[in-house]
Amino acid sequence: MKVPVSLTVNGERVAAEIEPRTHLGDFLRDHLRLTATHLGCEHGVCGACTVLVNGEPVRACITLAVSIDGAEVKTLEGLQGEALMETLKAAFHEKHGLQCGFCTPGMLISAWDLLKRRRDLDERAVRVAMSGNLCRCTGYQGIVRSIMAAAEKVGAAAPSTIKEPLR
Amino acid sequence: MGIGAPVRRVEDRRFLEGKGQYLADLDIPGTVDLAFLRSPVAHARLKGVEIPEQYRGQVFLARDIDFVKPIVAVGKAPGFKYSEYPPLARDKLRFVGEMVAMCIARGRAAAEDIAQACVLDFEELPAVWDMEVALRDGAPLVHDDWTDNRFVTTEIKAGDLEAVKAAAAVRVEKSLRMGRHVGVSMETRGVLAHYDNRLGELVVWSSTQFPHVIRTVLAQSLGISESALRVVAPDVGGGFGPKNNFQPEELAVAALAMKIGRPVRWIEDRREHFIASPHAREHRYKLVAYADKAGRILGIEAEVMVDAGAYSVWPWTAAMEAGMAAGIMTGPYDIPVYHGRAITVCTNKAPLGPYRGVGRTGACFAIETLIDAVARAVGRDPQEVRIANMVQPSAMPYRSVTGKLYDSGDYPECARRAIAAIEPEKVRARQQRGEPDGRLIGFGVASYTEQSAHGTAEWVARGLPVVFGYEPALARFTPDGKLILFVGIQNHGQGLETTLAQVAHQELGLPVSDVIVRHGDSSTSPYGMGTFASRSMTMAGGAVSRACATLAEKMKRIGAHLLQAPPGEVRLADGKVWFGEQSVGFAEIAEAAYLHPERLPTGEEPALEANAVYEPGRSTGAFSYATHACTVAVDPGTGVVEVLDYVVCHDCGTIVNPMIVEAQVVGGVAQGLGTALYEEIPYDENGQPLASTFLDYRIPGPTEVPDVRVLHMETPSPHTRFGIKGMGEGGAIAPPAAVVNAINDALRPLGAEINVTPVTPERVLEAIAAAGAAR
Ligand code: FES
Ligand code: FES
Repeated sequence: MKVPVSLTVNGERVAAEIEPRTHLGDFLRDHLRLTATHLGCEHGVCGACTVLVNGEPVRACITLAVSIDGAEVKTLEGLQGEALMETLKAAFHEKHGLQCGFCTPGMLISAWDLLKRRRDLDERAVRVAMSGNLCRCTGYQGIVRSIMAAAEKVGAAAPSTIKEPLR
Repeated sequence: MGIGAPVRRVEDRRFLEGKGQYLADLDIPGTVDLAFLRSPVAHARLKGVEIPEQYRGQVFLARDIDFVKPIVAVGKAPGFKYSEYPPLARDKLRFVGEMVAMCIARGRAAAEDIAQACVLDFEELPAVWDMEVALRDGAPLVHDDWTDNRFVTTEIKAGDLEAVKAAAAVRVEKSLRMGRHVGVSMETRGVLAHYDNRLGELVVWSSTQFPHVIRTVLAQSLGISESALRVVAPDVGGGFGPKNNFQPEELAVAALAMKIGRPVRWIEDRREHFIASPHAREHRYKLVAYADKAGRILGIEAEVMVDAGAYSVWPWTAAMEAGMAAGIMTGPYDIPVYHGRAITVCTNKAPLGPYRGVGRTGACFAIETLIDAVARAVGRDPQEVRIANMVQPSAMPYRSVTGKLYDSGDYPECARRAIAAIEPEKVRARQQRGEPDGRLIGFGVASYTEQSAHGTAEWVARGLPVVFGYEPALARFTPDGKLILFVGIQNHGQGLETTLAQVAHQELGLPVSDVIVRHGDSSTSPYGMGTFASRSMTMAGGAVSRACATLAEKMKRIGAHLLQAPPGEVRLADGKVWFGEQSVGFAEIAEAAYLHPERLPTGEEPALEANAVYEPGRSTGAFSYATHACTVAVDPGTGVVEVLDYVVCHDCGTIVNPMIVEAQVVGGVAQGLGTALYEEIPYDENGQPLASTFLDYRIPGPTEVPDVRVLHMETPSPHTRFGIKGMGEGGAIAPPAAVVNAINDALRPLGAEINVTPVTPERVLEAIAAAGAAR
């Protein structure tokens, strides 16, 4: 049995007939060939599959595509050129925030969401906020340094006024 | 930009843009997905597989690929028992997760549906679920034609132990256990195989650390020529050892693609990775140290027992882990007498393979906790005893009691620096004061020496089917003056696309951005051994240096000719050949070499490329070393351990890129903390693995790893080009030892002691309770 689903992915309307069990990660990767979203566990722990759904980070592997019918989805591909994301990427390059690169798209999206909400971050706060993303290569040090460097950069340009508690 | 510069990585861009291409990202038209039907039981006779009528033609058993040879990895040690690892089980099931059938469909989910619809018919046998169980008299046999469940036992006997026993003032015993765990690359394993009809070759894409070697063994196993087989490792999302074996999945998928003539891919899911990828560690130690009354160690007796699981992995064999642990046991210490025994046990578990640190993590855990115990026995500070027992710099090069040749370094100084950085007086003061939250503070240290980049002599001594003696490089200029390096290693996070370009810069003076490194494809690169054993920078770096040095001479000759200068008076810099203030660019030289041979000096061959093969000057290895020191807080109420501070002082010889070296160390430490505190796959008495998701198997997350401080020392190796020593694994060697020493320091007031990893909260509480009961 297949059911219809329509989503806006990276600004484009897509409609498809899919099996209801298709998770968003597979839908993005197999149906739309958007392979920046990686699958590291498919049980909702590692964070490699993190994408934005209606502006909020979600784990694509435990989100059924049909369950978010009509939603707006953004993947790393769709954030290409976006100012904060470019700042983050530059920081990950400068501070060696990646090794094999497999966790990196999920890290970037979680970090993007974090910096959208908060910029007054110390090392501990970054670690706590990023604890939903696993990396096996870096030991997190490069990632934490990258995010702090990006926070400093955007913070200096436009001090954040939103001070939400860490989610 | 050359050797020693913290050059930012050239490979970052594609990953940051989400354009890395990992195995699951490949898009080969017509690919079908494969799901393995795997054994649900640890030990059974396989009677048959019932395939539902509608799925005939989509399910394949061992008999469908009976043209393949089983994987055989038998070590040269006397008595090593022969076994065959078939890609699909034939008549016996030997571990939970062993492959029985291949099910194919459009989409993985549909393939899994088929696997689930098949019914396995088997007769269960008692499971050999633990080493002790395996070695009991009358234990069921994992391999029916064996006499017992041992792969092999080897012994090292160096020096007069009886004399040492007689002379020793103290005798200290220790029993230790290290849990079984798994590598957990964030990208799991995977294989895609298809037939290239135009070239008449089978193309096998695999998430592997050594594509060329896989081509060799795969061709042998499939019964085809290597010339009709291409193996490609695309971007690989972490390896750490488990991707450095010949995987039965590689063989099964390739065989099926050959048989059905369609592209087939298998992407390992996380559960398969936990239960069926090559496992790591699981050591048990019985140790005795004999020392004088100052704590100077006179001799050691060690028994290492390793649970190698059901099969012997190729090419390492089942005995690698125990053999290496026993062989490097004395570590950085000058211990004159050593008797070691390495027992490799066969059980109904997934086969054990190499994992970052291989053997040495266990050996370090053993010797370093033993040193602390000796210090306590003689009433001295463990750090003083540690340093007093070390090989002194004046003794370098030093031949260890197990015959290893330590090439260079200052072990005591390294230890002093690491210890000083953690400020032990402050830790002791804090310990005395006590914590407001009641936690106990402890301080621990561990040192190791790590054989790296070992070549022919070492691998011949180990008696493996392949001798990993060298690395090649082909350096080729394009006609517009850019350089492409074709190498046999495989870069999966180590930054080799950058560091090898730095080596080229060192020889040729061209910008790193003008250098491209190609690797991972058996059809484009010269035959090489791959990336493991902390070898790539030393080995491939040496080869790139040689090839580029040859090219540099040629560039100078052509450049001098074009500048009408004497060849001996030109130099290379900034991508140009210079004679005083005049220069000619590499593009112009390359253009002459390829497109205008008439512009070349008489007798100069056209084209601009050079091949080189590199072997280190001595193939016994360059020894990196380090001391790790850490402070922990142990909560005696909950058993939870927190690592408060972690320092590494290390020496990997000449550093090519300090940014990358630091990050490799930190990444290794994070994995070592996993071994020390969190990671384990226990098995129950039915041989069922009790951890198969990230919920019951924890790897360190951002809040579990402290901000590690890394101090560098640089003692160049006399045996290698530039004096480079390997360092990829080192970070993962010392953490279990350092952390357990710190925990035991913290627990001392309670009289409790930990002798097992991972140190879970339950184990801390058990140790405290046991100490309480004993009082
Ligand atoms: S793949 Fe979704 S959380 Fe791991
Ligand atoms: S960089 Fe490899 S998993 Fe994070």
